[in-house]
Amino acid sequence: YNRYIYAKMKHTHAALYLLKYIKQSVFRRNNSRLMEGILKQQQELLGMDSSKYSVEFMKNGTDKQEHQVLSCQSVVKVLSPDDGRLSIVQAAQQLCRAVELKEKTSKDINVTVLDSLLRESKNIPDPDLVLKFGPVESTLGFLPWHIRLTEIISMPSHVDVSYDDLFGALQRYAMCDQRLGK
Amino acid sequence: MLRGFALVAAVAFLCRHFLSEEEDVILQPGKSTVMSWIRERELSFIERLTANILKAGPMPKHVAFIMDGNRRFAQKAHVQRQEGHSQGFEKLAETLRLCLNLGIHEVTVYAFSIENFKRSKEEVDGLMELARQKFSRLLTEHENLERHGVCIRVLGDLTLLPIDLQQLIAKAVVATKAHNKCFLNVCFAYTSRHEIANAVKEMAWGVEQGLIKPSDVSEVLLGECLYSSNSPNPDLLIRTSGEVRLSDFLLWQTSYSCLVFQSVLWPEYSFWNLCEAVLQYQLSYRSLQKAGDLHREGQALQQMEADRCCVAELLQHRGNGKPMDAQSRQKELLNYTASREERVHCFLNALQHKRDTVFSDLSSQAVVA
Repeated sequence: YNRYIYAKMKHTHAALYLLKYIKQSVFRRNNSRLMEGILKQQQELLGMDSSKYSVEFMKNGTDKQEHQVLSCQSVVKVLSPDDGRLSIVQAAQQLCRAVELKEKTSKDINVTVLDSLLRESKNIPDPDLVLKFGPVESTLGFLPWHIRLTEIISMPSHVDVSYDDLFGALQRYAMCDQRLGK
Repeated sequence: MLRGFALVAAVAFLCRHFLSEEEDVILQPGKSTVMSWIRERELSFIERLTANILKAGPMPKHVAFIMDGNRRFAQKAHVQRQEGHSQGFEKLAETLRLCLNLGIHEVTVYAFSIENFKRSKEEVDGLMELARQKFSRLLTEHENLERHGVCIRVLGDLTLLPIDLQQLIAKAVVATKAHNKCFLNVCFAYTSRHEIANAVKEMAWGVEQGLIKPSDVSEVLLGECLYSSNSPNPDLLIRTSGEVRLSDFLLWQTSYSCLVFQSVLWPEYSFWNLCEAVLQYQLSYRSLQKAGDLHREGQALQQMEADRCCVAELLQHRGNGKPMDAQSRQKELLNYTASREERVHCFLNALQHKRDTVFSDLSSQAVVA
């Protein structure tokens, strides 16, 4: 199966937003094991600093804070396929209900309105970078709305991925030149 | 397969006999089959051989292209940007032909993004002028377009374009609407987010008109309200020039497509680049089929769940306290599903009619020089 990890480097703080995207079948079965695994890795890799990084599981809208941390510089959010198209559909249903109740008209609906509604329900910033692990060349439904400008870098496998591999990908990312249509 | 195109009859017969089981195209003597949007391009022997080897495996039916790299090409070749874009169009015409040769009958291209309006006035005007030229030329080739069954669709927010270009585009779309042998979808004044927001707007319009209920809104219905609703999702998305992002192109439709990023600049795109992309598609085919099937199953289950919830709610409102037996519940569910499908069908017809009217109105306003 494929996992997607995406990282956003903040220039000043060198904090990492790590999002793990696991296929639904694995996700449902190994939820608690996955959490254990992540926490163990945190300890191993980050040692003293591990308390600075919180881990959240997101399952289609429920933003459950599994661990409370005081200083939160990095966030790990684990997503599932339902967080993609389905979130857009839910936002659409909400807007249609508002229209039915005459709180809005169809003419009020545009990109900005839809975008802010999506951000309301799930606070996920647009990823700058998607690291895609595995041989399948597809996003497999990962956050379609959010990845419009995301750089997609493929890595052969998530098994035994090294710090060097990750750093190499970030270097490639740093060389991307976004013209934003201009 | 496409008929009536430029291949020498004898060679075509031999090739068919020797290499392929599929019908080949025979030149109709005395008739010009030249089209400006689909270049004449014979495959060499080795190219034909490669094509036939590829065709032994699964082939994409619909390919989407982000034709990136025109300006970098112009810089490299020391020509003006406008020339780069012109060559880009020529390459589009050639690539369409190559796709047809490979049995790919639907192609979608990203010609002009809403974000591209940010470019200099000179460049934007140049691109609009190029579009005017190409669409005008297209309209003069109506006979050939009909013979080859080429259907042109333009996807995007056309109201952002100069009115004369809107009219030309509308005329081209209306003129080729009924053709059904091959399909070219041109994304012009397009971004995927606009397309998705527009689809949501249309569904809201449907609710306003009393055609559908908010609970009818589903992943499937949203897909059918996109500009691309008359096409299946692309099997393969190719982006040239080495960039590895989607740039707001077909984000919804390519969720389960094979993505291929190639470093070649668009005006230099070759048959071999296309074959490389198709090969990548073939390597990912099984996994993508599985993922797509799983997703469709999930969609069907979700719809059934949603219908069940709606029925439960209805029965509660209607209810007189007496519990319903399983058989009656099932019957209610089937009735509800059938009426929802009928509602949605009427809504989609109304939407299609609304869109067709916009195009036919624009088309009848157009005055072709």
